[in-house]
Amino acid sequence: MNDDVEAVRQRRDERENRYNEFVGLLARHDQSIRRFIRSLLPSREGVDDVMQETALECWKKYDSFQPGHPDDATDEFIRWACVIARYKVLSWQRDRQRDRLVFRESVVSKLADEAIGHVQHRERQRQAVEACLDSLQVDDRRLVLSVHAPGQSVARLAAETGQQVRRLYSRVNALRKRLLDCVQQRLAGEVAHG
Amino acid sequence: MDDSIRKLIFTAIDGTISPEDFERLQDAIERSEEVRDEYLRAVSLCEDLAEIAGDQPVTDALSETQSPVRRPTSRNFRPDLFRLNPVHLAVAFMLLVTVGGVAYWFGQRHSVVPASPVAGSESRGEVPREAVIAGHATLRRSVDLKWSEGTTTWREGDVLPDGMLNFDEGVAEFDFFCGATLIVEGPASLNIESDWSVQVIEGRLRANVPPAARGFVVRAPGADIVDLGTEFALEVGDGDARVEVLDGEVELRGGEHDGQLLRTGEKQSLTDSGRPPQAIEGLSTIGELLRRRDDAEAERLSQWKVFAEHLARDRRLIAYYPMALASEGRIVRNAAGTGAERNGHIVGPVQQVPGRFGTASTGFDFERPGARVRTRIDGEFEAFTFVCWVRIDSLEHRYNALLMGDGYENGEPHWQIRDDGRLMFSVMVDDSKEVRHFSRLEQRVVTDAGLHRVYYTEPFWDITQSGQWFHLAAVYDPEGRTVAQYVNGREISRHEIADRFHTSTLRIGPAEIGNWGQPFRKTPEFAVRNLNGTIDELAIFGTPLDADEIASLYNEGRPLGY
Repeated sequence: MNDDVEAVRQRRDERENRYNEFVGLLARHDQSIRRFIRSLLPSREGVDDVMQETALECWKKYDSFQPGHPDDATDEFIRWACVIARYKVLSWQRDRQRDRLVFRESVVSKLADEAIGHVQHRERQRQAVEACLDSLQVDDRRLVLSVHAPGQSVARLAAETGQQVRRLYSRVNALRKRLLDCVQQRLAGEVAHG
Repeated sequence: MDDSIRKLIFTAIDGTISPEDFERLQDAIERSEEVRDEYLRAVSLCEDLAEIAGDQPVTDALSETQSPVRRPTSRNFRPDLFRLNPVHLAVAFMLLVTVGGVAYWFGQRHSVVPASPVAGSESRGEVPREAVIAGHATLRRSVDLKWSEGTTTWREGDVLPDGMLNFDEGVAEFDFFCGATLIVEGPASLNIESDWSVQVIEGRLRANVPPAARGFVVRAPGADIVDLGTEFALEVGDGDARVEVLDGEVELRGGEHDGQLLRTGEKQSLTDSGRPPQAIEGLSTIGELLRRRDDAEAERLSQWKVFAEHLARDRRLIAYYPMALASEGRIVRNAAGTGAERNGHIVGPVQQVPGRFGTASTGFDFERPGARVRTRIDGEFEAFTFVCWVRIDSLEHRYNALLMGDGYENGEPHWQIRDDGRLMFSVMVDDSKEVRHFSRLEQRVVTDAGLHRVYYTEPFWDITQSGQWFHLAAVYDPEGRTVAQYVNGREISRHEIADRFHTSTLRIGPAEIGNWGQPFRKTPEFAVRNLNGTIDELAIFGTPLDADEIASLYNEGRPLGY
């Protein structure tokens, strides 16, 4: 094999390695990045679009991602990707400002600063939610899950069950408040005990 | 937190907020850190609830109202898988654009994913979710295999998902799930497409197709070869592809030979019909592969034996059980200088099975609950290093034992694997205390008998690795105040020993390999912690070994194909 071909192959191999590394990181953390994006948008609408644009941008810029130490690569990748995601949220919102409710840029910035801290605890938070759900009465648990099931809403449930929207809503909100407090307590109550 | 703000937050999340209230909410978010925090936690909660709701069938949300509630459309909704798609598609697309033609092997990363409950199922309540893994074939055996640099490497027994396989040297035998077997000589480049189809970009191979696999397709430059039974050879390289039927019949599809049938002894060049087809010579048969493998395995075993003898003389050893050397009777010999006093004894239905060097070596299988190897190691130690070679078939119990001090008294070690694939190592600090703490893994407050800390690693094992050999090590170093754990010579976790969990007097006493003895229990029941797997070497050192030494133990002990 001549040198040129060898050089081309090496470059290709390097690129493949880099790509594998990237896909690995993205696959591991895309749920965290997605959650971050969701936090900055008023609803779930647009999350897929922004996530996609963020992923593409991350790959384009991946050469510039140089973690200080391999051990920190995970944390740094999430932070790095979230910086990109933040700008993608802003530009996505800018394009759609006229037709729907969107957060002001100043609100997005303040939320973003804080959300980055939440992202790190996503897994623990999810486990805490499951545990807290288990502590609810069966009917309460079903109710609060029904409201959040895909395609469901309080208004729809009310229509289907004949209950007053307001009454149902306050019941759901009371449950959500209880869950919020329960989750917070659990996370705060953790000691570094493994 | 002001309840009206909280209400605003939920109406915003539910999408029912009015423009005026939305402004109020934004003002509050901007002004107050507390509101921001509350908002973010509420969004997170609702997202988690949506994921959980989408994950499980929710029935009769308001059963007491007796009204028909429509079941959420959870049937086709698998949040994790569903949501990954757009990103993966995007990345795949980018790749095509930027590095066109380069194979991408996202699919080669295994993950065990829960399948959705049976679609349309009328069952109510909790439906246990079934685990599924992606794969089309296994790497059954290999000899002298050198994977190409920068490509994914596989080990014997691995389940192979779709995607590229590239190796520069050696011979590998692949079993496709449909029943077809390929013996491939390197350099080779293959693309596994499904249980029934593989694309050959480069390489020489022999395909064996039993009746159950009839219709298996090997796609080569110039034509697809459809095997109608039983065996053919293929050589792809230098811009040419040649096929020769060794026994049976194949059909060529596509290209200029479309529809052509080849029978026993017939050959065809697929790409250049002008060139006379030549016989494909010197291809490995299964018999040859086996012979070469046996030879290589025997050599590997004899190398390891030399190393094991050398290791047995290490004065830092507390005990050393090289079980892979065939043993006699019910004794597991302690090969270290510390003598027969520390021999192990087989108790119960321990099966002697082939060890990691194949049939010429031995391993102990602890598959059944009563199976154990008991030993007694008296004395006090300043540090521990545990090292073993283990083949895990499944992690069927909550805790699966490697080496456990009986009972679990002061200074005694517990070395085990949790059912989620995490290694656990712990030493009892004060067995007189009862300690309550919130367990992150259990997500509840647990009461521990005795003060101790369990040092967990991230999961290193899942069911795709069933049947594979692993080299595991745990180092407990009170003086250096660290606990380090290793898998296959690589450190996967390192923890500091906090003051309250510090103890410098270590003991082992009566202990078990592959199970947990609880002779002091007050009930007839015992915890089931036998290892569903095989151990064929275990060493205990009284000093902390460093990362280089652990890596070297791994390298010296690696079985063939690692």
